[in-house]
Amino acid sequence: MAKPLLQVRHLVKYFPIKKGVFRRTVGWVKAVDDVSFDVYEGETLGLVGESGCGKTTTALTILRLEEPTKGQVIFDGKDITKLKRRDMRKMRKGMQIIFQDPYSSLDPRMKVKDIIAEGMLSHNMLNGHERYKRVGELLERVGIPPKYMDRFPHEFSGGQRQRVGIARALALEPKIIMCDEAVSALDVSIRSQIINLLKDLQNEFKLTYLFIAHDLSVIKYISDRVAVMYLGKIVEIADKKSLFDEPLHPYTQALISAVPVPNPDYKKKRIVLQGDVPSPADPPKGCRFHPRCFKAMDICSNVEPKLVEVKPGHFVACHLYDSKE
Amino acid sequence: MKRILKKLFSNVSSLVGIILLLFFVAIAIFAPIIAPPLSDDPYQVPRMSWDEDPQPPGFPMSDNMKEIYQYMGKKVKWTKAIFGTAQGGYDIFYGVIWGTRTAFKVGIITVVAAMLIGVFIGSVSAYFGGWLDETLMRITDIFLSFPFLVAAMVLTTILGRGLDKVMIALITFGWMGYARVIRGSILSAKEETYVMAAKALGVRDGRVIWRHLLPNTIFPVLVQASMNIGSMVVTAAALSFLGVGAPLGYADWGQMVSFARNWIIGKPGHAGQYWYTVFYPGLFIVLFVLAWNLIGDTLRDILDPRLRGEL
Amino acid sequence: MAKEKLLEVKDLKTYFFTEDGVVKAVDGVDFEVYKGETLGLVGESGCGKSVTAFSIMRLLDYPGKTVGGKVIFKGEDLLKKSEEEMRKIRGKEIAMIFQEPMTALNPVFTIGYQISEALKIHLHMNDKEAMEKSVELLKKVGIPIPEQRVHEYPHQLSGGMRQRAMIAMAMSCNPTLLIADEPTTALDVTIQAQILELMKSLLQEFNASLIMITHDLGVIAEIADRVAVMYAGKVVEYTDIRTIFHNPLHPYTFGLLTSIPRLDVELRRLNAIPGFVPDPLHFPKGCKFNPRCRFATDRCREEEPPLVKVEEGHLVRCWHVDRVKEEVKKGLLVGV
Repeated sequence: MAKPLLQVRHLVKYFPIKKGVFRRTVGWVKAVDDVSFDVYEGETLGLVGESGCGKTTTALTILRLEEPTKGQVIFDGKDITKLKRRDMRKMRKGMQIIFQDPYSSLDPRMKVKDIIAEGMLSHNMLNGHERYKRVGELLERVGIPPKYMDRFPHEFSGGQRQRVGIARALALEPKIIMCDEAVSALDVSIRSQIINLLKDLQNEFKLTYLFIAHDLSVIKYISDRVAVMYLGKIVEIADKKSLFDEPLHPYTQALISAVPVPNPDYKKKRIVLQGDVPSPADPPKGCRFHPRCFKAMDICSNVEPKLVEVKPGHFVACHLYDSKE
Repeated sequence: MKRILKKLFSNVSSLVGIILLLFFVAIAIFAPIIAPPLSDDPYQVPRMSWDEDPQPPGFPMSDNMKEIYQYMGKKVKWTKAIFGTAQGGYDIFYGVIWGTRTAFKVGIITVVAAMLIGVFIGSVSAYFGGWLDETLMRITDIFLSFPFLVAAMVLTTILGRGLDKVMIALITFGWMGYARVIRGSILSAKEETYVMAAKALGVRDGRVIWRHLLPNTIFPVLVQASMNIGSMVVTAAALSFLGVGAPLGYADWGQMVSFARNWIIGKPGHAGQYWYTVFYPGLFIVLFVLAWNLIGDTLRDILDPRLRGEL
Repeated sequence: MAKEKLLEVKDLKTYFFTEDGVVKAVDGVDFEVYKGETLGLVGESGCGKSVTAFSIMRLLDYPGKTVGGKVIFKGEDLLKKSEEEMRKIRGKEIAMIFQEPMTALNPVFTIGYQISEALKIHLHMNDKEAMEKSVELLKKVGIPIPEQRVHEYPHQLSGGMRQRAMIAMAMSCNPTLLIADEPTTALDVTIQAQILELMKSLLQEFNASLIMITHDLGVIAEIADRVAVMYAGKVVEYTDIRTIFHNPLHPYTFGLLTSIPRLDVELRRLNAIPGFVPDPLHFPKGCKFNPRCRFATDRCREEEPPLVKVEEGHLVRCWHVDRVKEEVKKGLLVGV
């Protein structure tokens, strides 16, 4: 396989919980807790998990839109967690993000052409006239007639706005794009258009994606490898086929079985998990999944399982597979 | 923007506000024609006589005064005090007409300056947060803890008499409201994804504030500012009334009212004899403040998200 | 069919009279709900599926107004009922579950209070009886320690628990018809699975009918017996669950089914429907789907097709049913 473009090492992000008049820190929300993975050049790594599992925070922390509490992010051979504010600003050219909400992610008071040109302006790419020419090309590429570049975001539909968001990210010619639930807010018929567009762009520009979603069907369609997160930890990471065909972690198994399949004749055994996801401010001891796990053993409530390679390229953090170590 | 204008002109109270404001603007612009100045400094209110008592509307300029003006080489273009004279023979009509200019000057300069300071402090404070926010907000709190009028009065007294000193005092103690408001709106606007998107693009902090945050948060501040112009003028008038504001004889509504201080009640047996000394300057002040408040109110209604939600 | 008809919606028209013009959110919708069955109402945002539900419940506010049609529930037209009569039906005969339980529950009252309110109004229970019944209902919907939960406020519950409480509230007076508007859309997959299982078992236990409104074809496949697919304020295809997934005859349904990524089959490329959902103020002329349809002809651009019976129990609104049929035969539909 190709070389890793992005290496995340023991990434930790805690948010303080402040209370009282003096806003003392009374606890920590452990949004991302010791997460490590690699993203290889040209691949799509799917990051999947339920709300509150820390997948979005992981992306924001990698980009240093949230400062990491601990850990390293090595992008293109450089540890970007150590960069100064100014150097980090330059680094952003190489790593872009597409957000979930196509409504709040575009400044309502800016024209579409200025939204797309802004990144180029900040990195002194091209001069004024050429910049707008490039905006036109980018719009064309994402499927919006360039003549609309003088319009404001509210004049577009949700799908078109998401295309503008994609053009904005593409404008900087990044190497990696984090797609943070980039298609979740869209209508079913629009979603597939955007997914196809993202795939086409990946082939055309040799892009690498970190694709974050809660929808397993989308993840399965778009990813090469998939990482499953639960309560701030990666519980399983493998290539797509082996993850979906032979999920090892009980949580992954339950997650896959819970997805409704659009086929009334598709009969499968559903694992219905009990209870809710615990609060990341007070995660369970030991394995964080053990209170809901249908295969929990004594050891699970005491010892936290490590993420180990069970099969080539298939990592899982579960005591069920300890013996193979 | 079109919607805002449409609303402004379709609402009765805002229409009244706009008409009043246009009326004052016209007075300020045409002051030299409405009341041609008689001395080199047009803001010096001409005296119609040496009388200590106020004189009723229609009072003609004394011959002695005419001679003085002619001696000074000035053309006496008018000789009647339409609104009467205040204590010391000062012409009330001239005072309120030229006082309109003073009012605009004081109102707009102090509010714009206070707004700029407030917006700068508030936005920097909100955007960068942390210790900077703490420090700036504590400073704001300290300034807020002084009673506005008393603080402005003390500072004017220290700085000395004069309209510029009044304005400095008003600005010094007038910016905190703006800082608070803009800080609040930026704190919430900062969480919008487009701000994060701009940061992710590598946009400089200054530009994020200037191009993304301020355009989306400035409106409540503008509303506040428009309503504040009236109250700044009232405060300036109050300072003048208290004798720490404009220098003697300066065309200023507060000064005109202060001339009336000893005559408000009238002489025994003649209650309200000198009504014109209070009435005309007072009327101008009230209408001016009303105009700005009506406009500010309408702006606020337009921008209020709860009212904007209508389909 | 010997099944008993519970609800019949006939040519329902609900328009919104806005500043910018008349929005025909629901424009001639017909369907039936039989006793004990689940009807799925599928469509994308703005297709009128939620407005249909609100029209049935008569819960629309200005500027929305039902301007035509009939809603026959147990033989009586709900649209002709007085507000007073409607109030007796809402909550007792027909209950509703919303997408966002946080906004559907009142934050200042306890869960128990909110459930017992309906019991007191409709079943004339006293405070004590109502509270006991509330605890029982919460237990039934799978909320642990219900004795304690009745005294808690909505914000103290998790999203899944709130939706369970909503369901308990809806079921409190044994309604014969339940309308669920995207009840699981805001929930996580594992919680969604819990709620779907719960709804299925409750429907069976209470022998109630359900109108399930959703955009998620997976959820539909899981729970519905029959399906009405809506597009731009109209039903475009109406048939039973197996036919809709295996033998769709409307190009929109066909397009949706081939465009979604799915877990059960490996897809090379999604067959995206081009264009965008039309703006309800400017619906296209003729068939409302024609600008996005690959089967569209001049006739589609001029004349709107009626909803006609193509086979027994299968109604389609399209001029080119035969051509879609051929496509389906070619096996382009995956997962068959």
